[in-house]
Amino acid sequence: MALIRPRLTDYHGLLLAQSDIDFAIPFLDEDLPFCVDPFLLWKSPSMQDNALHASLLNSFNYLGYLFTKGKEDVAVSNLIRASECDEVGLGFSSTRKGKRIGEGSANNILSLFKKIPTLTENGFSHFETIQLYVDNVSKDRISDITCSYLKSFLIDYTMEQSQKYGIPLVDISIENVYDTRQNKFIDQEKVKLPINPETHAPILLVPKRWLRKSPWISTDNYVKDYYLEHVLKNGGISPDRGELLNFNRCNYGVVEEYIRIKERTQQDCLNDPLFRAIPILSAKKKFELIKALPTGKDQNADKKYEDYVCQLMASLLYPQLDFAQEQCRTDTGVIIRDIVFYNNKSVDFTGELFSEYGTKQIVLELKNVASISRDHINQLNRYLNDEFGRFGVLVTRKPLPRAMFKNTVDLWSGQRRCIIALTDDDLEVMVQLFESKQRLPIDVLKKKYIEFKRACPG
Amino acid sequence: MNTKEIERFEKIATQLDGFYEEIGNLTKKSPNDGVNKFKLKLINKLLLESNSILGERYRPFDDFVVFEEDDLPSNSDVTSILSQYINCLEKLRSDNIQNEYTTWYWKIDGKVSSIRTAAPKKIGKR
Repeated sequence: MALIRPRLTDYHGLLLAQSDIDFAIPFLDEDLPFCVDPFLLWKSPSMQDNALHASLLNSFNYLGYLFTKGKEDVAVSNLIRASECDEVGLGFSSTRKGKRIGEGSANNILSLFKKIPTLTENGFSHFETIQLYVDNVSKDRISDITCSYLKSFLIDYTMEQSQKYGIPLVDISIENVYDTRQNKFIDQEKVKLPINPETHAPILLVPKRWLRKSPWISTDNYVKDYYLEHVLKNGGISPDRGELLNFNRCNYGVVEEYIRIKERTQQDCLNDPLFRAIPILSAKKKFELIKALPTGKDQNADKKYEDYVCQLMASLLYPQLDFAQEQCRTDTGVIIRDIVFYNNKSVDFTGELFSEYGTKQIVLELKNVASISRDHINQLNRYLNDEFGRFGVLVTRKPLPRAMFKNTVDLWSGQRRCIIALTDDDLEVMVQLFESKQRLPIDVLKKKYIEFKRACPG
Repeated sequence: MNTKEIERFEKIATQLDGFYEEIGNLTKKSPNDGVNKFKLKLINKLLLESNSILGERYRPFDDFVVFEEDDLPSNSDVTSILSQYINCLEKLRSDNIQNEYTTWYWKIDGKVSSIRTAAPKKIGKR
């Protein structure tokens, strides 16, 4: 049984908490739903980031230079090469493989350098503005172009971070590294990088401080915050996308003004956290909803219970445990829902779970039943395996009946498997601790574990 | 009790009163909330001192020594234990003081000393 939603570090047995490290831990078989926002490099207080942004702009504007000086083919080919950067694993696709833009799109983008005189003369000051002029340029395309031009830096960064945390590096060839001295992409370069164990493709790590869900300068934001307010002052009908792009191309000054406003409000532009815990008030409300739910399946109570608990637990246990996935599985015809967390070993208790039970991922099985039966315990017990280790949690409404508790103790005695139960009362304490911050909500899990261990023989 | 023990007793009793009041206030607000590790460490320190002052005879529970951090004691747990300790300390004090002309004094080695103290909180026939 493989890891659920494996991450690079977990695969190598490096149990690191996302909150403790500088880079976004990449998934092995899907993209992280974030994009590198070049604006964050521009506004960064770090001179290094500013220099990288300047280099990125120079490289992009050089394409314009080539295009306007009759070397259209070279410019188009370079832009196509820059348009995808699979190694970083960012974007919104379900796999780690993206598609490059076609010649038509590349020509559309580069023709801006000819159509807009200011761009011909000065080039872009924020190249992500191309979204406002050309169709089919999405936020992950901006991110990919940025990463392609900064690939050389990202290689160094990845090597440094990998050595710091002990991520294994492999001699590998990486394609399309941009050489800023020659202003061209190098076909292949031999480097030492971490690789995807399944596909053997190189992986590049990206600093968390560069990531946002959507770029600071984007078409949606332009329409919502600027165009409707400043251009369509009298509440006119919002134009379709084609009209809007045409308008922008013919009214460079309007777009320029929007960019100036975005630059002025740069203080509000922050990188997005990789996980956002729900607010305290919302956690309390979720718990109230859980408490009010009946046990069983009446009025979809089981589904609602699972939804609320999932949202609650992901926030309550963060950042000590990184949420991996909520999933459904079937066991002897019964649909079971559980939540899986990466074990980061960030507290002594989770470190013990790893050393004693081999727990790389912690599974919480959700049961909206009046009373836990032997079947429920057996279902979870069967599910505990090499990756999950021999530790599991039943999240249920009421304490285990005495016989069932004895059953879990017997499982420990016979097979050294540990199954503990979290009840509504425990959730209440966790929510209380989440609010008061006097202790960590994960301490409740630890308390239950210690109580269980005390009940075990010897 | 001797002079040093009396001084130690009075210091610990005052500190316990302070925590009892503080945690008591938190208990009124949120009885099930956990007590943070910093406070718990200090409270445990006081409980250890109190255990040594009270000895086997006066200790409130023979199977309770200090709070376990991992047991996640709540505000109300801590308040009730502190109240037990405060009462037992008071019992120890009551047994070691004597009234002389409306003023109460500590007894040292069975004899009335010149160290004044407050009247017992529960004055009964002895």
